[in-house]
Amino acid sequence: MKSTSLRIAAILLAMATASTMSAAQLNSGAQTIALNAKLTESLTLTLSANAVNFTLAAGSAANAGSTNVTATTAWVLQPGRTAVGVYAYFASSAAALTDGAGDNIPSADFYIADNGGASTALTSTVAFGPANAGMQLANVPITGANKNASRTDTMAFNINLSTLGQLPANTYTGTLNIQAQATP
Amino acid sequence: MSLRTQIVRVAAFCALFLIAAADLSAQVRNSAAQPIALNAVLSDSVSVNLSANAVNFSLTPGNANNPGSTAITATTTWLLKPNIGFVSTYAFFSSSASALSDGVGDNIPSADFQISDNGAALKALNTTVPFGGANAGLRLSSTLILGNNKKGSHNDVMTFNINLSTIPSLPPNTYTGILTIQAQAF
Repeated sequence: MKSTSLRIAAILLAMATASTMSAAQLNSGAQTIALNAKLTESLTLTLSANAVNFTLAAGSAANAGSTNVTATTAWVLQPGRTAVGVYAYFASSAAALTDGAGDNIPSADFYIADNGGASTALTSTVAFGPANAGMQLANVPITGANKNASRTDTMAFNINLSTLGQLPANTYTGTLNIQAQATP
Repeated sequence: MSLRTQIVRVAAFCALFLIAAADLSAQVRNSAAQPIALNAVLSDSVSVNLSANAVNFSLTPGNANNPGSTAITATTTWLLKPNIGFVSTYAFFSSSASALSDGVGDNIPSADFQISDNGAALKALNTTVPFGGANAGLRLSSTLILGNNKKGSHNDVMTFNINLSTIPSLPPNTYTGILTIQAQAF
């Protein structure tokens, strides 16, 4: 009888020990991994062509360029940008094109029709270039829906010689720049 | 770490954050400038237009005065390059010996054909000009080209006369010829 009681007590002790072992799990320390993903901000502008020719008629208001040029502006912007502007400009308002002999075609006589709109002279002061030598082709408000987007500006060109009655015959060359800016 | 140290650290972090935010908002983002080369050609030109292309004469043998039936205006128009100095307009025959001819060997020389330009005195076509035969021409006008007339025009109103005083034995017949008007920029 006494030995039976001892056996029962030993079994109970073993069960109690097993229960205590299952409640004491052993965990390692938590190791962190720092994640850093950077989506670089970008703003690019590409042109469909880089040259335009004109056959001028003396005194004529209509001297169209040989081809249209499409400017494609693409952007991926960081939060806080509110607008993307696209601009056309010359390095000088007085001599947008020149024959190199002192005879010039000013930017005020150079016109761009953007996306079929009215022809506009390059007489404004814009973000790039000197005073009165540019025009804004486009202004795109940036919202949450277009932080990653693009737009195209198809430009048709014209040189108005109606105010340059004494422009001598010659070859006139110049460089028109197209550039975009995201603000602020 | 003392409370003071903690406050200083928090203040420094806030200052750095504000500076970074201010820099970010002040820097606009520009694309690269893309150039378009422009090439515009304004070609030079010189042209002469005449108000009429025929003149008749009723000749009197030995007479110095045989005026043409009509005056003709030559309009010279030009658009020139910067290095051009003059535009001249000339009248000339292809031969000084036979400005007009009856086709059977009888000729009126260019020296007996005269032009009055814009009301001036009559002048015979007996000089050598850039066009036509030797001693068979006349310069009607010469315009100095300056900065203000590289694009311009000029009128020469010509009246004509045939002087038969030096060829009194010219036989009766119909005499025909071609007088040419041409301009040169140089």
